Amino acid sequence: MRTSDVHYPRDLASALDLLRKRPGALVMAGGTEILREQGGRGISLPPEVVCVHELPELRKAGLTERFLEIGAAATLSEILELGESALPPILAEALSLVANPAIRNLATIGGNIACRARFMDAWPALACLDAIAELRDAGGSTWMNVNRLAGEDRRPAFPEGALVTRFRIPLERWDAYALKKIGPKDYPDPETAVFAFAARVEKGILSEMRLAFAGETAFRSNAAEARMIGLGVPLSEREREAAGEAFRADAAFLPEAQALRFGSLVDAALDLLGR
Amino acid sequence: MTVSFILNGDDVSAKVRSADRLSDLLRDQFGLLGVHSDCRCGRCGRCIVFLNGRLVPSCLVPAFKARAREIVTIEGFSQTQEYRDIADGFRESGMKTCGFCDGPKAMAAAALLERKPRPVAGEILEYMSIVPCRCTDPEALVRAVQAAAESKARRLYRRADK
Repeated sequence: MRTSDVHYPRDLASALDLLRKRPGALVMAGGTEILREQGGRGISLPPEVVCVHELPELRKAGLTERFLEIGAAATLSEILELGESALPPILAEALSLVANPAIRNLATIGGNIACRARFMDAWPALACLDAIAELRDAGGSTWMNVNRLAGEDRRPAFPEGALVTRFRIPLERWDAYALKKIGPKDYPDPETAVFAFAARVEKGILSEMRLAFAGETAFRSNAAEARMIGLGVPLSEREREAAGEAFRADAAFLPEAQALRFGSLVDAALDLLGR
Repeated sequence: MTVSFILNGDDVSAKVRSADRLSDLLRDQFGLLGVHSDCRCGRCGRCIVFLNGRLVPSCLVPAFKARAREIVTIEGFSQTQEYRDIADGFRESGMKTCGFCDGPKAMAAAALLERKPRPVAGEILEYMSIVPCRCTDPEALVRAVQAAAESKARRLYRRADK
């Protein structure tokens, strides 16, 4: 078993400096997914590991009238403890579906989003909420919409060498939302996926709508969403059928079992707009 | 590398490799055999420990992350009044566990009661899913944790009266 050098930077500047000098170093905060997927007695880690779980800059949370800001090393439990008054319900529901309370005490929101092997449970909710992530590297800081962390091929596209430091989540009003998890709750497998839907209605018209789906691949159903915006609510039976078909067409690449579940979840979400 | 931390109230140090899991460190170097290391993927809940007061599966924690932290295992927890409250409650409710999961279930119940002194059934089942051993039926588990909550509340009220 290879031995790794483990570094504990005292602040964000030192962490970024370490990452600049040691390209390829593994950034570890909670580490749950890294250890879970290895399973056996010993853990195999890259030669350099940078522990960021105690960096004060990555553990802050802040609330303004317009958005919630969460440090990337905040654990899922700590975020849930912010409570209903601070946390958008769709995000609270997504985080409460992650494994169990003991794993949520370790797992961080940054790790949930920066996982390169597959999409984890928070992505669809953050994508629906138009959350942005701050990515830092030696070159500086960039804010990126969480949607853009899914590549053209719908696979995770977290930039190499970047460190996610915080998330900014707009606190907009959403009139309807739905979130469902498919597959085992306590560990991700190829069937595991999360579906999220949110809609806003202004004066009887559907003014905003988001639909996101994430498992081994992820997508926002942009084309179908755009076709629905401007429709009157409640939707007519015909409009619901047309929308359902458009969403299913967007998801045609999914394996059959997931496509079927996706279709029924879309129907349930559209039912909310048919009332 | 050497890491120093507090284990069951004592200052300790241990030589660890980056490949070690905390569960294996606690068993192999400190002989804490109440920390089981069965699934090594966080599912069985039998390796749970309190890490800085938070319940975590120690198989999902690299041993080097114990550095400068406080760890309480079932061996340490079973010496506390908190544990006795829960054990009393479990016994009063008549719940029978299989012996493999009684310690972890008591720790999960303690973590829940710390946050929710009067938990409802849904909260109990959610928290006790940390230790998904099927030896106990869910209704008995809910009764046992509620009895433990009563037991803890009685002690705290007695202390407040004095």
